[in-house]
Amino acid sequence: MKNPLSYIKYPLLKAIDISGLTFLGPVVRLCYGEEPSVQMKKIGQWIFIPIIFIILFLFVWGIASEKIQTKSGALPNPTKTLQAYDSINTFAKREKLKKEAYEAHGEQREKLLTKAQERLAEIIPQAQAATELVTQEKANQKVKLASQIAPIKEEYKTSKRAFTESQKQRQTQLDHTSKKLHIGNEEQYQSFIQSVKEHQSQTETEKSTLRSIKIKIKEIENSSSKKVEKALQLQTIMAEEQQFLKKQIDQLTRDNKSLKVESEQLKIEENFTALTQVTGKEALKKAQSIVKTETRLEKTKASNYAKPSTLWFQVRRSILCVFTGFLLGSLIAIPIGILCGLSSTFMAAMTPFVAIFKPVSPIVWLPITLIIASGLIPDPDQNPLMKFLWGLPGELGEFKINPAFIASAATVALCSLWATLANTALGVASIDKDHLNVARVLKLGFWSRLFKIIIPSALPLIFAGLRISLGVGWMVLIAAELLSSSEGIGKFVWDQFNNGASDSFAKMIVVVFVVGVIGLILDRIMIIFQRMVSFEGSAATI
Amino acid sequence: MSTSLNSKFVEISHLVKEYPNPYGEDFRVIENFNLNIKQGEFISLIGHSGCGKSTVLTMLAGLNEISDGGIIVGDKEIDGPGPDRAVVFQAPCLMPWMTAYQNVMLGVKNVYPHATKSVQKQIVEHSLSIVGLSDAMKKLPNEMSGGMQQRVGIARAIALKPKMLLLDEPFGRLDSLTRMELQDVIINILAEENLTAMIVTHDVDEAVFMADRCVMMSNGPKAGVGEIMEINFPRPRNRQDVFNDPMFFRYREHLLAFLEQRSHIKGKTRLHNHEDLIGYLSSEDLKSLEAQYQD
Ligand SMILES: Nc1ncnc2c1ncn2[C@@H]1O[C@H](COP(=O)(O)OP(=O)(O)OP(=O)(O)O)[C@@H](O)[C@H]1O
Ligand SMILES: [Mg+2]
Repeated sequence: MKNPLSYIKYPLLKAIDISGLTFLGPVVRLCYGEEPSVQMKKIGQWIFIPIIFIILFLFVWGIASEKIQTKSGALPNPTKTLQAYDSINTFAKREKLKKEAYEAHGEQREKLLTKAQERLAEIIPQAQAATELVTQEKANQKVKLASQIAPIKEEYKTSKRAFTESQKQRQTQLDHTSKKLHIGNEEQYQSFIQSVKEHQSQTETEKSTLRSIKIKIKEIENSSSKKVEKALQLQTIMAEEQQFLKKQIDQLTRDNKSLKVESEQLKIEENFTALTQVTGKEALKKAQSIVKTETRLEKTKASNYAKPSTLWFQVRRSILCVFTGFLLGSLIAIPIGILCGLSSTFMAAMTPFVAIFKPVSPIVWLPITLIIASGLIPDPDQNPLMKFLWGLPGELGEFKINPAFIASAATVALCSLWATLANTALGVASIDKDHLNVARVLKLGFWSRLFKIIIPSALPLIFAGLRISLGVGWMVLIAAELLSSSEGIGKFVWDQFNNGASDSFAKMIVVVFVVGVIGLILDRIMIIFQRMVSFEGSAATI
Repeated sequence: MSTSLNSKFVEISHLVKEYPNPYGEDFRVIENFNLNIKQGEFISLIGHSGCGKSTVLTMLAGLNEISDGGIIVGDKEIDGPGPDRAVVFQAPCLMPWMTAYQNVMLGVKNVYPHATKSVQKQIVEHSLSIVGLSDAMKKLPNEMSGGMQQRVGIARAIALKPKMLLLDEPFGRLDSLTRMELQDVIINILAEENLTAMIVTHDVDEAVFMADRCVMMSNGPKAGVGEIMEINFPRPRNRQDVFNDPMFFRYREHLLAFLEQRSHIKGKTRLHNHEDLIGYLSSEDLKSLEAQYQD
């Protein structure tokens, strides 16, 4: 009897190979007990060594962050970066809850409200305790520092006294010498100058010694203890949650959608009963007020919670943008590439354009595409396409696709299409001549030759090109968003850059990793596609 | 069908092939190549490497342009390739992204566009079963051995129901066992379908065993038909019988002698063992050989 697990061994290994997570291969093989020593060696090489280097990197980063001081504070260390990531996540979570609160109605609203109020009641004393802890820790710190500073202060005093004393002595000494000088005796005067010089330099040294002692005291006074920092952090967390809960309660009561709708409907009804009792000017006034309330009611009903954009929202928007641009670029690049590969005449016609436009930087394309996009859509609020896109259900509508988005996507397309174009042309042009001969013998028509033979045999190279294009596009996009202020990761970085909050520097570092990880995932996805269309002996190498 | 048409199913007359040469006069590979082929006849084409065998075959297939002269197949001057002249290439040339079934279907769909799906399917399955691949239809080329791939190549060719089958060293890359199997496959197919065929080969045994007539090409450049040898074994042929027939050795030695002699004329080879061969040749053969040897 075979172990049932043994049946999934090779499919599993194959899946690992296709997905490119090759470092998992040895682990699986080891689990099946295949050549343990070989697998251990591979695991050491592909798992432990990278981990060691990651740890080393974190260590070096931690040290470097202490050394690198900037106007926006020290370079965030790994812990601070992790905290920033946490705070980004908490923010996102809370915004989601606030949105839920805004839309909640009926029983659910009440449930949420009691929950929030309970939590608030719970947290207020905790927050107070945290504040007290901060004052206490600060006081403790002061006492502790005072005891540390006292001896240094003492040292400062004694040194100062001693220095004044010695200065005085030297002064009188010099006075004395000056009186004994013989006029005309150059040698004597020279040595007098020498002693004055010595006196001055001595004084200078003494002053700097005093200064350094003073700096030492200042440093100790300013040195923040871990305890104080921790207390402060706790205080901030408490304060933030408290604020959030208050806002949430607002959304559940004062600002709640269903409550607003209700109260407006009630108002209309009341006004109507009042209206039926009066005539003339009074009636007109009442009727007008009813109409006004009605329009407001409609607006309220249609309204959404104005959610400030979280990083994750911006990440999703960026991904949509990069795929839009990538798709656009590919739709242009693949047909042109196929034509280039099929016809050397067409290739000759396209070469100058490719040669000239390929090296152009996104920074140049972006303003041009921005001008064109906003020229085509001068008034987004009235544009039918924009209205349609905004009306789309779910997050697609929330993305509020605007001319800046279109310009960013177009820039991505313009910068990324070249790799696909070149690879497609190469793939089509380098098709096996024997395959074409087969096609000729079979008398395949143009279209079946194209779709049955030429494109399939070029697919591995086309996908290799698409993979490069998507990578380039992702890199270009962040820059484009930053410049065009199109909502997205680039915009998030720009906002942090301009924001100057204590943790915005750390948030930018978080973005570095977020962008990197997403780029990695996109690349992996493309590799999987590429492997799926590759066949043995195809030109594309991975 | 009249006998005159039958005896001249393929008519190659005054065929010339020139390859362009950028640094001098055009390179005339084939000159004045004349050959008539009867319907249902199997021709083997043999000659020294580089003499232009593939060139003649590809011109007949329509894959190679004709510089001068003409080729008529079944009353019609050929103009480009077509499914009436199916080719089996030296390399199997299968589309690596298609299964055996799909590779065969590719041509079938195109040649019988009006047939129903089930008829097309039948044709494909039938031709694959003829070459003995009924069980490997769903396999991709890289999952098959070289011999199996070449079988698919043959199935693809015969699925087109061609009038002619052109084979350019079809078994050159296969081991001798597989080669023999496939030779039998081809012989059986030809017997069943009464196809006209031409095979280019380096293998003297193969040339004799398979063909009704063996065409020996003179050396290039400006190669033409050097000699034609009729091979009078009855069909269907049985390998054992043919190889045991004393005539087989005569034909074989004659061919070898022709090739050896051509090498000698070219002044390239070592001393040939002409003396040893004589015993196998008839007096007539010897005379003709001597005559050629003199000029
Ligand atoms: N496309 C081409 N351009 C120029 N010369 C060519 C071309 N193809 C073949 N030749 C030349 O024509 C001659 C005949 O070539 P061909 O391939 O027909 O020979 P062959 O008899 O099939 O040889 P082999 O037995 O090695 O396959 C050779 O000398 C070759 O160099
Ligand atoms: Mg050849």
